[in-house]
Amino acid sequence: MTETGKTANELAPGEEFEPAAFHVTQEFNENYLHAVEDFHPRYMQGAAGGPPIVHPALLINYSNITRSPSFRLPPGMAAVHTHEEVEYLAPAGVGGKLTVTWKVIGVYEKRGKPYQVVDALIAGENGAPVLRRKTTNAFVAIPGGA
Amino acid sequence: MAILRKDTPIGFEFRGTMKTVTSFRTWLFSGGWPPFDGWPARNVHTDAEFAKRCGLPGRAASGAMFQGYLTELMISLFGEEWLQGGRMELKFIQIVRMNETLVSKSRVGSKEQEEAGTRFGVDLWCENQHGEKVVVGTGTGWIR
Repeated sequence: MTETGKTANELAPGEEFEPAAFHVTQEFNENYLHAVEDFHPRYMQGAAGGPPIVHPALLINYSNITRSPSFRLPPGMAAVHTHEEVEYLAPAGVGGKLTVTWKVIGVYEKRGKPYQVVDALIAGENGAPVLRRKTTNAFVAIPGGA
Repeated sequence: MAILRKDTPIGFEFRGTMKTVTSFRTWLFSGGWPPFDGWPARNVHTDAEFAKRCGLPGRAASGAMFQGYLTELMISLFGEEWLQGGRMELKFIQIVRMNETLVSKSRVGSKEQEEAGTRFGVDLWCENQHGEKVVVGTGTGWIR
């Protein structure tokens, strides 16, 4: 449940999921490098005296709405990620803390299925934006679900 | 170093590195962090029984995983600068199961000279080992 007591599929435009913060260590980042088989030095050693940068796939995965502490669905329902718009704004350095905020910006129905569009923003410790996404999820009934 | 240059023509095609979505890599991606007790977290990406209860035939890779492959391809095309203003719009059209092999592909669809540089529009997709597209979309970036 969210702070409003609603499940994710009940949130209306303007309502927000609870923000999440996470700290990206070198080990955490390397975990993702192995997952996506991308070992470019920019993610391991950094460049021009700066720290290594956080792999974009980690940023995407940790800004999915399912990462919000308030994300809940009713029994018998699943969220399916169907569409995505992402804008990379600035690289994030390994070692920093990142905060994600999510706000519902649209809901609609298509072929009998409810869809929800969420604006997600990742910001660094100084509040500087790192990545903005507009993700669309369909809420579907699980066959045989409660 | 970017692959695209200001004189790269519309129609130019480029493919990324072939990737295999193994069971272990999917655990690393979707199993949560840190990998202590209870790892990997149970979800449709990490646990076959959980996935079947959700109506899937088995574990399915997270779309964010192959979105990561396309991001790698875009950085190859535009250089690391793409992480400052680069955009992608994607539609996930097919699930990806364990041990599928994916390759990310691109084709320059448009280019325009702007104040900030040459703006390229790129068609993007990932194909599995059967040549089926699993995600399709477009990306935008600049060569300055």
